[in-house]
Amino acid sequence: MRRALSILASNPLTIAGTLLVALIVLAAALADVIAPFPEHQGAVVDFVNFNKPPDATYIMGTDLVGRDLFTRILYAYRISLILGVAVLAISVPVGVTLGLIAGYLGRRWEYIIMRVTDVFLSIPPLVLALSIMGVLEPTLMNGMLAVTAMWWPWYTRLVYNIARGEKVEGYVLAAEVIGASRAHVMFREILPNCVPAILTKMTLDMGFVILIVSSLSFLGLGVQPPTPDLGSMVAEGADYLPDSWWLSVFPGLAILLAVFGFNLVGDGLRDILGADR
Amino acid sequence: MSVLAIRDLTLSFRLWSGPVEVLHGISLSIARGERVALVGESGSGKSVTARIVLGLLQDQSGARIGGRVEFQGRNLSGMSARERRALRGRDISMIFQDPTSSLNPVFRIGGQFREVLARATPGISDTKARATATGLLEEVAIHDPARVLDSYPFQLSGGMNQRVMIAMALANRPSLLLADEPGTALDVTVQAQTLDLMRTLVDDHGTSVLFISHNLGVVREFADRVYVIYRGRIVEEGPTRAVFEHPGHPYTRALMAAQPNLTGGGLPRIPERDPSFLAPLVVHGDRT
Amino acid sequence: MRNVLSQTLRRTGTSLLVLVGVSILIFAIARVIPGDPARVALGPNATAEQVASLREELRLDEPIVVQYLAYMRDLLRGDLGVSLYTNRPVAVDVAEFLPATLELILVAGVMMVGLGLPLGILAARHRGRWPDHLVRVVSLLGVSAPGFVWAVVLMLAFSYYLGWFPVAGRIDEQYDDLRHITGFLTADTAFQGNWAAFGSAWHHLVLPAFALALSGIGQAARLTRANMIETYERPYIEMAEAYGFPAGRIARRYAFKPSLIPSLTIIGLDFAAMLGNAFLVEAVFGWPGLSRYGVQVILRKDLNAIVGTVLIIAALFILVNIVVDLLTTLLNPRISHAPGGRA
Repeated sequence: MRRALSILASNPLTIAGTLLVALIVLAAALADVIAPFPEHQGAVVDFVNFNKPPDATYIMGTDLVGRDLFTRILYAYRISLILGVAVLAISVPVGVTLGLIAGYLGRRWEYIIMRVTDVFLSIPPLVLALSIMGVLEPTLMNGMLAVTAMWWPWYTRLVYNIARGEKVEGYVLAAEVIGASRAHVMFREILPNCVPAILTKMTLDMGFVILIVSSLSFLGLGVQPPTPDLGSMVAEGADYLPDSWWLSVFPGLAILLAVFGFNLVGDGLRDILGADR
Repeated sequence: MSVLAIRDLTLSFRLWSGPVEVLHGISLSIARGERVALVGESGSGKSVTARIVLGLLQDQSGARIGGRVEFQGRNLSGMSARERRALRGRDISMIFQDPTSSLNPVFRIGGQFREVLARATPGISDTKARATATGLLEEVAIHDPARVLDSYPFQLSGGMNQRVMIAMALANRPSLLLADEPGTALDVTVQAQTLDLMRTLVDDHGTSVLFISHNLGVVREFADRVYVIYRGRIVEEGPTRAVFEHPGHPYTRALMAAQPNLTGGGLPRIPERDPSFLAPLVVHGDRT
Repeated sequence: MRNVLSQTLRRTGTSLLVLVGVSILIFAIARVIPGDPARVALGPNATAEQVASLREELRLDEPIVVQYLAYMRDLLRGDLGVSLYTNRPVAVDVAEFLPATLELILVAGVMMVGLGLPLGILAARHRGRWPDHLVRVVSLLGVSAPGFVWAVVLMLAFSYYLGWFPVAGRIDEQYDDLRHITGFLTADTAFQGNWAAFGSAWHHLVLPAFALALSGIGQAARLTRANMIETYERPYIEMAEAYGFPAGRIARRYAFKPSLIPSLTIIGLDFAAMLGNAFLVEAVFGWPGLSRYGVQVILRKDLNAIVGTVLIIAALFILVNIVVDLLTTLLNPRISHAPGGRA
């Protein structure tokens, strides 16, 4: 633990990333308190103050119907983070379990699971999510399902590769010899060895889920108005470049900061967990 | 004039927990054509000494070096990094512990050989390099140089790679050869063969050698003179025979006692007729 | 070389199997539309006859297995069905829009390799010093924003503010009637010796390609750095140092090639992922490519076009991966020159 802290201390970028993520999570959680115009998260129209550049009242300007961009970005963060957690909450257990089965049990299981995984991994992630969204109604729930459907195979492959290496190790053999059940070996013996890699990937993926979800809504296939979403805000603003630059630049920057933060933390985590091994 | 003269060499690393002293002022010298061994256990500071002579540690941040290292009368610490680099591979050369992992796995031997030759002859042509390399490989008793030059290191045996390394190290006729535990990764007979070969070659070329090892048996066969290093200090030095016959320092004696007699011809003689030979040392079921 | 050949053949065989899997998956997705796919596709204003005729054309009244087999039979003849959006065969649409996307991706891929690898080498050589930190931040920033954010930022800075690059399109309007041979405008203009048009095509291409390449550049730089640092610990690098090879040469030759081999697979994946990210960049720059077509047909629930487009993209994706595998095999003598396979 002390070693972990000293590695952390020696890496200012990791600290910066942790602070950034903490700030974003806090801002999203306290949006109701922080946001200057909480009612602007929904369908509000203020034709007096529409399309205003940043000033003292609207620090990031207002959108085309007069809503405060800063407020909408805070609420968009909240939805993005919830989506990120939801996607990982489903895809990680599914992907990890399948990876353990394929890697440890081998044979038929390995063949079937890994070929199916290959199929999913053979479609560019965004394209797969897009085509699922294309046939479903573009709702928050479906967006989550579409992203989850493309996410689990990465965990399957990650865990599969580790499990395949670990299953010939002495401690696994020892557990088998004393008659441990297959479930015990998979989840109590092999899984703990996959945890550092899984945790690191999950941290990085929180950022990338936000990135993919915003990409979907940028193309009009994700979260629908009036729910605030970073991707659709950028898309809306892109039509009004260069004059109303704030419409797309601030939401874009918001995506960048969030993903950047999670990336820094994930990188740092990789160093710490790797060193502690 | 000696080829290498080290006086009062100190080395410390700055670490998180503070400076760590590795060498506490060691002195040694090697005359032209002399084979000198630096003997000690791992961690005693013998490998870092070789790396300082090569000029590899001088540029590392965190390493503090004191004292004087003179190569052919020129002070290494006074040189620029570029000048030190110019010496390497031409005037000073080195053989490493594990030949197979010291050769680059993704290039053929021929290409790597050419690079080494180009250190002394910049822009050497492919045909010239190949001809020279062929001759050098024949010198180390490789009978099919063409095949070896076209191979990747992983396609050759450890002993073969060791011969290649020796040929490379001597290719540019350096005046000083550093050998850091050469062939320790190989099995004993192959190690003995390649060492024999190395000795013949350095004798022929009049190359001075700094031979670094923890293996006294090998040192005894190879070196004219021995320095014993212990925890960053030279504790004893002298002609090989003298040191082996009358070790003065208790550490040297301990080192010799710890050494199995490898070069004597197999296992030491054990009195098998002795009844104690059959007496079991471990008795089962004798719990109290 | 026999190893390389047999490995590639085996890999291609597996990939074909995977491609069949992809076609099943996509076909299934396209057919589980809630409600009547034909009604959904034609919209609420379509007449009952129109819906019925489309149902017949898509064989919606038959079991899904029959539908799939019929689709595959047509596919093997190069028939991807007719797009409801353009009223043209999907194959014709794909042939028209694909070259623009490929051109964009190829240039972005060259940028990714040409900038990402040198940056990674630079960072590894100066590990822990300012070039390393700079590369780390820059590459992380590249990875951290989706292509459309970079597209917007670059467009704002270089097209609107500095005015260095055009805002949208593939070529200036005056060259619109240019004869298309390959569909790659940079190549077509060069073939016809129309150097003004050639310049215009490149002028339009650079910025979108860079926006698309940025995350790949960051990824490639990070990966190269990590692998280079690992390689620097190897004895053969110390040996190269001991022989006094210049530091730059050690980095570019002795350390780079062994580090490239493990990086290559991931770089290939990133390159292939551009097929997806092109959707985002093409949208911002009004790039008339397959991705923009893809978004249009997805928004219109144009089933034949969706399945066709995704299949083509998946096939390209798999092809890229096969090529990368082949490259890795060729570069790694331990595979290409394994015992028994010596040429």
